[in-house]
Amino acid sequence: MVELKNIDLKRGDFTLSIERLLLQSGELYVLHGANGAGKSTLLQLLALLLPPERGELIYAGRLVHWSERRLRPLRQEITLLEQSPLLFSGTVEQNLAFGLKVRNIPSDKQQQRIERALETVDLQGFSRRSVKQLSGGEVRRVALARALVLEPKLLLLDEPTANLDAGQVTALERLLVSLPHRGMSIVIASHDTQQSPWLGGKIIRLQKGCLDKDESGLKAVADQQ
Amino acid sequence: MGYLGDSLLTAVELILSFDREVRMTVWTSLYTSSCAIVLAALLGVPSGLWLGISRFRGRRLLITLLNTLMALPTVVVGLLLFGLLSRQGPLGYFGLLFTPLAMIAGQTLLATPIVANLVLAAVTGADERIINTALTLGASRLQAVIQLLREVRFGVMAAVIVGFGRVIAEVGVAMMLGGNIRGSTRTMTTAIALETSKGEFAFGLALGLVLLGVALLVNLGLNLLQQR
Repeated sequence: MVELKNIDLKRGDFTLSIERLLLQSGELYVLHGANGAGKSTLLQLLALLLPPERGELIYAGRLVHWSERRLRPLRQEITLLEQSPLLFSGTVEQNLAFGLKVRNIPSDKQQQRIERALETVDLQGFSRRSVKQLSGGEVRRVALARALVLEPKLLLLDEPTANLDAGQVTALERLLVSLPHRGMSIVIASHDTQQSPWLGGKIIRLQKGCLDKDESGLKAVADQQ
Repeated sequence: MGYLGDSLLTAVELILSFDREVRMTVWTSLYTSSCAIVLAALLGVPSGLWLGISRFRGRRLLITLLNTLMALPTVVVGLLLFGLLSRQGPLGYFGLLFTPLAMIAGQTLLATPIVANLVLAAVTGADERIINTALTLGASRLQAVIQLLREVRFGVMAAVIVGFGRVIAEVGVAMMLGGNIRGSTRTMTTAIALETSKGEFAFGLALGLVLLGVALLVNLGLNLLQQR
């Protein structure tokens, strides 16, 4: 589904260098690495937000050209949920409707999809609530619902379980495991190495901006190939 | 009752009786300032927005220049446009000097840097993640910028209100480019200056009270927005 070849991406003093990485459709990947290893940068590259200085990104068999006009249709198939997600001012419903409106989804279908997405994150009845009234955990769940409502082909999650209580983590992990069965590819960045066995995803290890060359890292790439 | 008390009473009477002269002057002020602020918003909001989200060489210099223009003395704007619009000036052919249009042009020039600067401040103070969040949700760059504008809408409205407050209360541009012509370019501020010097203190006071009322309304609006 997504292939990275000879990528170099600089952000200040930091460089993300990836020789080759292949992510396949309908798979769940867990991206491990210490703080500053480049997990968020890799996710932003995969979300087509940061262009690399060098290398190729191939999405669904097509080479990505970094012009706004060509990026937009691809971005509509990918959604990134950031570590500290931002909700727009207004109501929960307005937030979920944003991505649907820019895709020109008819309003009756918007409503159905919003209700379904809120149900998925266990926030039924929250649609008219102002985002100012939400707790930290609820903000994260609304942001996840806002990503899920778009039914992306590639869902990128940056530390999605941070600041959630144990019960919410379990519920979220259960939900994440079910998503690849719906044809969605998922990449979860996490510093928690205990999380991957539970999720059962393939592991990608990052160390100082490079894919780890240890056994597990090589295995992950080899598995994908 | 004394001079001040009598004058105040006459001023209130002039306002309450909707005196034709007072009405005409208030109307000219409101009309020219409203036109100017609409034009200043059309120019200043996109400029402030663009400066807030763009990164290019010379941006800092441009912002410093904008800050300087914010403190531009009204008489300097008046002088500059007077030179351009006077009969010997390059735009003298159009015969715009001493017309409401000349005043609108001057006031627009005065308010645009204020609006642009305050919009810039609102944009730079906004959450940096707004545009990227909109992009990751599938928006085009234009839709993402419109979303940013929605998020800072109270700041933008405040910028327009402050700009309006500045132009309705200014006297330099209105005097130099309008010429204080009765029934045409006489605004509240120029009339206050003229009538008071003629000894018509009560008339000046009446207009001063209306101006104070407008300033009060503008500040009330600003306060309401700041509480959001």
